[in-house]
Amino acid sequence: MTEIILDVEGVSVAFGGLQAVNNVSLQARDRQITSVIGPNGAGKSTLFNLIAGAIRSSSGRVRFQDKDITGWPSNRICLAGLARSFQITKLFFDLTVEENLRLASQILEPDGRLLRPLAHSMRAKAKTRELLDRFLLTQRRKELAGYLSHGEQRRLEIALALASEPRMLLLDEPTQGMSHGDTEDTKNMIRDIAGETAVMLVEHDIDLVMDLSHWIVVMHQGQKLAEGIPQDVRANPAVREAYLGEA
Amino acid sequence: MIEYLQFVLGPQIVNGLTIGVAIILVSLGLSIIFGLLDVVNMAHGEFYAMGAFISMTLYALGLGFWAALIITPLLVMPIGALVERCLIRFVYHSPDRHTLTLLLTIGLSIILKDLYDVLYGPNTMKPENPISGVTEIVGIIIPNYRLFLLVFGTLIITLTWFVLFRTRLGAVIRAAAHDKDMTASLGVPVRLIYSGAFAFGISLAALAGVLLAPIYSVFPTMGHDFILLAFTVVIVGGIGSFWGTVVAGLLLTQIESIASLYIAPNWGEPLIFSIMIAVLVVRPQGLFNWSR
Amino acid sequence: MGAQKFSGTTSPRLLAWIFFAAAILFAIIAGIAQETFYLRLATEALIFSGIALSVDLLLGYTGLFSLGQALYFGMGAYLTALLLLEGGSHGFWSALGLSLLASTLVALVIGAIAIRSRGVYFILITFGLAQVAGRAVYNTRSLGGSDGITGIPVLEINFGLFSLNLGDPVSFFMLSLFFVLVMYLGLLYLTHTPFGRVLVAIRSNEERVRALGYNPWRYKLASYVIAADVAALAGTLYPLLRGFVSPELMYFDISVNAVIMVILGGTGTLIGPLYGSVFLIALKTFISSWTLHHGIVIGIIFMLTVIFFPAGFVGLYKRLTGAAKGGRLS
Repeated sequence: MTEIILDVEGVSVAFGGLQAVNNVSLQARDRQITSVIGPNGAGKSTLFNLIAGAIRSSSGRVRFQDKDITGWPSNRICLAGLARSFQITKLFFDLTVEENLRLASQILEPDGRLLRPLAHSMRAKAKTRELLDRFLLTQRRKELAGYLSHGEQRRLEIALALASEPRMLLLDEPTQGMSHGDTEDTKNMIRDIAGETAVMLVEHDIDLVMDLSHWIVVMHQGQKLAEGIPQDVRANPAVREAYLGEA
Repeated sequence: MIEYLQFVLGPQIVNGLTIGVAIILVSLGLSIIFGLLDVVNMAHGEFYAMGAFISMTLYALGLGFWAALIITPLLVMPIGALVERCLIRFVYHSPDRHTLTLLLTIGLSIILKDLYDVLYGPNTMKPENPISGVTEIVGIIIPNYRLFLLVFGTLIITLTWFVLFRTRLGAVIRAAAHDKDMTASLGVPVRLIYSGAFAFGISLAALAGVLLAPIYSVFPTMGHDFILLAFTVVIVGGIGSFWGTVVAGLLLTQIESIASLYIAPNWGEPLIFSIMIAVLVVRPQGLFNWSR
Repeated sequence: MGAQKFSGTTSPRLLAWIFFAAAILFAIIAGIAQETFYLRLATEALIFSGIALSVDLLLGYTGLFSLGQALYFGMGAYLTALLLLEGGSHGFWSALGLSLLASTLVALVIGAIAIRSRGVYFILITFGLAQVAGRAVYNTRSLGGSDGITGIPVLEINFGLFSLNLGDPVSFFMLSLFFVLVMYLGLLYLTHTPFGRVLVAIRSNEERVRALGYNPWRYKLASYVIAADVAALAGTLYPLLRGFVSPELMYFDISVNAVIMVILGGTGTLIGPLYGSVFLIALKTFISSWTLHHGIVIGIIFMLTVIFFPAGFVGLYKRLTGAAKGGRLS
């Protein structure tokens, strides 16, 4: 069992009268894949955005690598080593794939490089090449991100998040809208990533989640319903009732 | 003290009210276009001027003030609809919509301003006062025309409120402003509503132009000065907020009126603008943004 | 802009070479023919192209639409006028230094406040501030009030090895060209650094930029200050050309003209605004020879450009040459 790298404690978020997240606590371990699942409206995305710094919580704390990151803005969280991808693809559509990755990789360089010619940022260049390779985008690198296929765009989404060499990656429905083949590829990529980095996944695809995860957290109506290793979650009657057994 | 109220402050307040009512008309038009169509109409001032200029032409043709008051807005409405159809629609689906419509309306304002110069010449014109005489109310002497303006303007504002909030048409318009796609899927001809709303907003401005012409005179750049105040009212009141516009309109014109007693009139505009900037920075949704 | 959305931001080298080469050629020919009027007009076009560059940096690269760059232009102009009229040994370089210092400080303050606002609100704030400043200057007797400041001396600028008499129209033209070249190259370099690329990314998708670890506010502020400095630099040259400054230099018209130049020339290209400035000034002059009503013509051309050629002249050039290249390859 590896170290606990992310510790979420009693967080809540309310939108107007709606309690989207209600006193939720969970933990994620280093180099493991932790998944958060739940039916629509369960509050998974809200929880996710909270951890990533896009939303403020009204109570509780979030600790990452023993640092209290509650209320930190998203750029600071990224610099602390917690990077995220987006559910609705948020690439730089009017820039090339290569440029997208280069921008993301630039963060590895010291600030002094900002005003130097691009060629001086060699670490960013190397990282870009590495990511293009790893995510099978080398052939498409001169293409504008907006012209990529959906599957390629989703891959680029993940690649961008990985560019800052984070200690933990938050993936928001990474296989959303993907074909079966793409989903398989992505699954393998995630497994690969989890070799060095902790991964937290929000997903709809139950089979994927069962197959990949070391630990699953089930949410329902804003609260944590259950958690455990895949087999236990699968067998849990409350979970089946709320989610799996609805068919 | 009483004299001060009667002869100094009182008239200024009344002045402020009459101008305020006219400004509210202009600002309501701007706010409707801004709130419903999401268009920053930089040419709005030029439509205010259009009303004034058209009325001048009508007077030259021998028509009286009352005829001009009715005919002018009716003439301006199709122009507004045309502008919306031909220009704004072109760029409406672009992701840079805000920038593009802003640019287009800037272009339009440049054209219109020059057009007025071509058609009417650069000199200032002033129609004669249609209602002469004064009335004394609570010891304050008020020119009858201004009294009329106050009453008529309030009438139009009330009518607008009624249409927007008490009729089905108004409900449809507000729904379309809230959620265009949903409204469209309910079978409402949203395109028509947009054109109509734009035309209506423009005609309010034109009406104000006819009303204020005898007071402020008519000249090609008249729209330019007015638009700044109208924008301020809309921002301070809150975009798309009916009551916000009304309250802000009254408040700001009062501030300007009373301030002119104490500071040089030239500082009135910077003062108003500074208020706008302050609101934009501190509370961009407007000071009086209650629900529409 | 719409059609340009998927084409990135580049500055075609050839167009830049043509511009500056043509400018030098023009200077030589006009100098020999002693066409003072046209030289001064062309110099004015160059000065205004500086404001256009500042608008482009903000709009075309960072995604900030400022309708108030005239504020900094006027600031540079007035400070220069005041300093030069004060007498003493203050020359061009002190005026330039003062203008840049002032614009940097003011832009830091204004930017810090204004940049927190999005979209339309930012536009209105910049617009409002320029108006307030212009009016304030108009109202202030000691700054010349509505008449402005006149009688600015004809300068001789010392460049160390040689000096330039600005009374000579060719010299002034070359000086302005020099400064435009410096600003252009400076901005060109900047947009090709990681810093510049972050600006473009902010325009493309600010939320993503933040999620990647950058603080967009800082970059936008830096961009705003740089743009202010560019406009102020242009402003410094103006009184030297025309011999006077007036509050109109801070008004809406100047800011709008700069925006028109950028749109006509091509947003986000840097060389576009330069062409746009020349085009607009030439057009105005040409039309003014028969009628005062250039507003209608320019307004129509501008609107047609926005609707049909949102990528401006440079965009059109890229389309034509790109199509030609595509044809050859296939």
